Amino acid sequence: MTDHTHDPVDVVIAGSGIAGSTMAAELAEAGFSVLVLEAGPERKLSEMVSSQIWSRRLRWAGPEVIETGDLVGAANFAMGWGTGGAGLHWYANWYRLHPDDFRVNTLHGKSLDWPITYDDLRPWYDHAQTYFGVSGDAKADQWSPQSDPYPMPPLPLSRQSQALKKGFDAVGLALVPNSLAVNSQSYDGRAGCILDGWCDAGCPIGALANPLVLQWPKAFKAGAKLRHHAYVSKITTDPSGKRATGVEYLDEQGARHVQPAAIVIPACHTIWNARLLLLSANDQHPDGLGNGSGLLGRHFTSHALTTIHGLFPDETEPYRGVTGANTLCLEGYDDKTPAKGAFGSRAWLAAQATKPNDLLGLALARPELYGAALDDYMRRAARHYGNMTVLCEETSIPENRIELDSQKDRFGLPAAKVTNTLPKDNAARSDLARAEGLKIFKAAGVSAPWAGQRAPMHMMGGTIMGDDPATSVTNSFGQTHDVENLFLAGASLFPTPGAVNPTATLAALVFRTAKHISDNRAALLR
Amino acid sequence: MRRRRFIANILRTAALLGTVPRVVLGQSQEGDRPMSLTDPEAETLSKWCDLLAPGAARAGVARYVDQNISGRFGESMLLLRYLDSGAMLPFYRGGIAGIEQESQHRFAMGFARLDPQQSGEIVAAAARSKTEAWTTPDPNFFYFISRSDAVDMVYGTEAGFAQLDIPYLAHIDPPKPW
Ligand SMILES: Cc1cc2nc3c(=O)[nH]c(=O)nc-3n(C[C@H](O)[C@H](O)[C@H](O)COP(=O)(O)OP(=O)(O)OC[C@H]3O[C@@H](n4cnc5c(N)ncnc54)[C@H](O)[C@@H]3O)c2cc1C
Ligand code: SF4
Repeated sequence: MTDHTHDPVDVVIAGSGIAGSTMAAELAEAGFSVLVLEAGPERKLSEMVSSQIWSRRLRWAGPEVIETGDLVGAANFAMGWGTGGAGLHWYANWYRLHPDDFRVNTLHGKSLDWPITYDDLRPWYDHAQTYFGVSGDAKADQWSPQSDPYPMPPLPLSRQSQALKKGFDAVGLALVPNSLAVNSQSYDGRAGCILDGWCDAGCPIGALANPLVLQWPKAFKAGAKLRHHAYVSKITTDPSGKRATGVEYLDEQGARHVQPAAIVIPACHTIWNARLLLLSANDQHPDGLGNGSGLLGRHFTSHALTTIHGLFPDETEPYRGVTGANTLCLEGYDDKTPAKGAFGSRAWLAAQATKPNDLLGLALARPELYGAALDDYMRRAARHYGNMTVLCEETSIPENRIELDSQKDRFGLPAAKVTNTLPKDNAARSDLARAEGLKIFKAAGVSAPWAGQRAPMHMMGGTIMGDDPATSVTNSFGQTHDVENLFLAGASLFPTPGAVNPTATLAALVFRTAKHISDNRAALLR
Repeated sequence: MRRRRFIANILRTAALLGTVPRVVLGQSQEGDRPMSLTDPEAETLSKWCDLLAPGAARAGVARYVDQNISGRFGESMLLLRYLDSGAMLPFYRGGIAGIEQESQHRFAMGFARLDPQQSGEIVAAAARSKTEAWTTPDPNFFYFISRSDAVDMVYGTEAGFAQLDIPYLAHIDPPKPW
């Protein structure tokens, strides 16, 4: 039974994270009436308390994801909850996919192709880096794709990076300043970074681009509205099934609301985008909206992550810097077949600022230690620890997927279930990277480096884009093939993940889609 | 099935715990009653966490866990919330019951009465997934989560940083440690 019906808007967006807020700002500035429905609570900069303990309050508190397969465990860690979503506690590593990442199937006969090329997306990447404010050294990083110069110079090399660089130099790989959506100097009215290493708890001074300082002020100024505690549970369509009519959502008390809209844009993050379309099945779309191809939820991907750790002879000040990474190595990224039986790109993110506690903290880097041994280690690690992370590509396969489970979540809706198993040749690639990382640490003078267990990082796919409605869910603008005024925003659109963090690409796609919606305003608002 | 095992554990532990002597709960907890855990459960957790990160009991780990499993999920400060967002109280209850079960199985007495070598044996078993009687929740996962709670208390607060002799460098100081 319907409890409340609201006045219609031009655009309703589900999710207020980087995808939703960027889309809201762009479309509101283009003159659309925009409403964003956010499942979580309102957030303020004052909640970004510098503490790994307090920071957990910013994290996902939505329904649990059921995960199966051998590369799982990231779902609840990867998402945000409340204004700005994970944009409040992301690390702002800022990378473009490489030209070959858009043509993996053509070049290698596996995974997928994108319906666009790097050249199509390049102007939007360039725009996005100015919008977010990116620091880096494109000249030194000759392995990144061509781009406009970064708006800001890089952050200074940290002591951790200096220690690690010896290892990279010794094995003949280039370690260069990282590119980050973090201000190395004041930019666009926002302060420069002071390298205190608290990004994971949120950057209340706005040196790290987050939606509370960047997108939401723009969106509000242009008239966009944001409603919290609004859990979108269904997209409705007209009797033909060809046009969405709006969404239904549940408020904190569980009351059902109807929000009519001319354009509907889920921007709920990968799993929840696919799940919302699956939940919206109706007579015209019995298998879910946008599922004419039968591929809705399929081709889920992540990055296979391995961390390398060690205690350096010299002091490294691990507590300083940015949580993301101070330095980067993309040399070799474009070689997707580094050995027989191994497949995929890899990227090294080095010298992440590390505090004593939390999932990526000093103590959990050595989970087997406790008691006096833990204390001895902590005292040494607090001053001598160094680390780096390798992200490896996961091949996009239909078997890895998001689907509805028979279990119900706390809203009484079928729970989201994710299956993700790393293909064998990707696992072999990840093993090679692990060995490479340990070798680099040894070459840097660490006598007994160690590697963490392989884990997933980032979630992509599930509502993949493509030219052919028979093999994809949306076109290159994120517009579903089956429902003309239903667009998706976020990494759920990625046909392939490359081996770099997704947000620069996600943002570039949002800008491109917003322009498309704006250019087709009359047709879409009819 | 899993839930039934939890309940069985809890019942058995409740029966066993009535007689154990009270261990020191920690300065910050003196006089306070736990909100969700029972007193004996809090005592077991406190002693367990102190073995994982010495100082955790005094820093108030049992109260930290108890408070953070008692309120709204979205307000919780525990690591568990983003590794398994299922109900928290049954997880901790089950883990504490598992410790007691293992203790009875190995030494025929409650965990609170074990000497350091005996209690250390149980920690080592959980850390290596070698428990004999305790099966749910996964002892190794419970070890991982409760160790993180202990680490939060000992090393993750401003006092903890000071103890490690590293600067805290806060943008916004925590209004209280947790
Ligand atoms: C710790 C961490 C570090 C990261 N570091 C990096 C990095 O260095 N570089 C990088 O590129 N990426 C990084 N990421 C990933 C990055 O944060 C994401 O790519 C990005 O934030 C995704 O934005 P989004 O808007 O798609 O999703 P989110 O930020 O997750 O926002 C989705 C929003 O939708 C809301 N929502 C969900 N379901 C519903 C519903 N049914 N109805 C209404 N609202 C709903 C959620 O509450 C949430 O606020 C990191 C992520 C994490 C967690
Ligand atoms: S290290 Fe820099 S970007 Fe990170 S929280 Fe501090 S000031 Fe912000």
